[in-house]
Amino acid sequence: MTAHGAGSAPERVAGDDGAERRAERRVAVLFLLSSASAVALTIVYWRGGQPQLEGLFLGLALGGVACGFVVWGNRLLPQGPFVDERHEMASSETEVEGAEDDFEQGGLITRRKLVVRSLGLAVGGLGVAALFPIRSLGPSPGRTLVQTPWRAGLRLVTEDGRPVRTIDVPLEGLVTVFPEGFPGSADGQAVLVRVAPGLVKPAAARQDWSPDGFIAYSKICTHAGCPVGLYQADTHQLLCPCHQSTFDVLHHARPQDGPAAAPLPQLPLSITPEGFLVARGDFSEPVGPSFWHRS
Amino acid sequence: MAGVSAGQPDSTAPRDVRQTFLADCAVCHGAEGNGTSRGPSLIGVGRASVDYQLSTGRMPLAVVGRTNDQEGSPLQPLPNSAAGDSDIVPRRHDPAYTPETIAGLVDYIAGVIGGGGPEIPRVGEGNLAEGGALFRQQCAACHAWAGDGGALLRIEAPALHSATTTQIAEAIRLGPGQMPVFGTAALTDAQMDSVVAYVRYLDQPRDRGGQRLWHLGPFAEGAVALVALAGLLLFTRWIGERG
Repeated sequence: MTAHGAGSAPERVAGDDGAERRAERRVAVLFLLSSASAVALTIVYWRGGQPQLEGLFLGLALGGVACGFVVWGNRLLPQGPFVDERHEMASSETEVEGAEDDFEQGGLITRRKLVVRSLGLAVGGLGVAALFPIRSLGPSPGRTLVQTPWRAGLRLVTEDGRPVRTIDVPLEGLVTVFPEGFPGSADGQAVLVRVAPGLVKPAAARQDWSPDGFIAYSKICTHAGCPVGLYQADTHQLLCPCHQSTFDVLHHARPQDGPAAAPLPQLPLSITPEGFLVARGDFSEPVGPSFWHRS
Repeated sequence: MAGVSAGQPDSTAPRDVRQTFLADCAVCHGAEGNGTSRGPSLIGVGRASVDYQLSTGRMPLAVVGRTNDQEGSPLQPLPNSAAGDSDIVPRRHDPAYTPETIAGLVDYIAGVIGGGGPEIPRVGEGNLAEGGALFRQQCAACHAWAGDGGALLRIEAPALHSATTTQIAEAIRLGPGQMPVFGTAALTDAQMDSVVAYVRYLDQPRDRGGQRLWHLGPFAEGAVALVALAGLLLFTRWIGERG
């Protein structure tokens, strides 16, 4: 009490033992209702889930805690407004002692064991219910982040599954290609462009990756994963429509502009004697936006 | 009357066309069509390319009495002394010549200057639904989902609404300007017909499902959400003032 100064606490039930106990019981009931709802939510979720029921129980669990706090605050804690003379900043000795006593004995809050324990139960129940959705994060992605369906010898096909022949791709041509057998593959999609062979300035280890000026890069932007589908044929630039990242097709798709920091992964190509384009392996790097395991 | 004019084009057209070529084209492309410092060579560009550039009014670059980037009314070829600047990006205008003159120039450049190159494509019926799917996969990135065009680097992809069937097919197979070429690997002839049909449809689309909102696409829904959000803000403020 001392901590609240000299003002008397009007309109509160403290002192009236019967009313105080009733209020205490009401708070406890609300907290226990919350706890039971949280347990029910956990069970419903565990048994496969039912969205409307889950919503109801989550609402009851949170609402029970909220209502309990409201009743607690209104009925069991001192009500304002308190008028107090300005006093010295330092507490007097008796006040300090009084506060210490309160603290040791359990003051306003810790004194109410029933209320506090039921609150613990309610919060604990909600905590347990919150643990279960972790299961819903699904299985670990494993190697899928660093691998695509591309393998050495797989032909490049269009979205409708037609293998791409060199004679069907004119100079300055653009085709979206997929690994044979995986048309529509999200991480395997690539842009194939054909430029005049002399123009390509390949990286040191990629001298023979672009036969006859055919170059393929992953279509997934290294910034945020949008499809890099815009191609300016005259300046040989691939553009991402989302944030205007620009990649230089002639220089191993190094980023020229925009937020992308890494070049587009390149797909090593070769041409079969029958004139089909085939991959010589997977992309040079994991596709898509950078992630934590990626060097 | 038909009898009178029937024989005339054969005897007079080549000479007229040659004069037109020398007056309007040769100043940049050279009298032999092999290019100058002002303009590229025309040898082997093919009939489709000449037809596309002339029928969309992108060529000739020069105009009389107004700047080049005003789109719309017909172009008037300039006298040689005031030829267009080769740095100007060609844009769509009404053609400077009649269809007969354009056909004559196409024949002249393909035949006299030098052959080869793609022929003017023939466009078949096409399947609208398939064309829509292909358009969204291969064209919409630059030309936008409703064919209104969009921004690229320092240039923009043009709107497609005024393009004719033949011009659309020519653009697909030629890749004029910064546009890449879509060969038969990207679009088979039948698929090209479908895309052309869909681009023509985009000029007068049937808007089902309410207000078209200027074909802004997903942005339109975002705009509606913003209006709703503003209303919500006012409502919140009203509640706050009551308390």
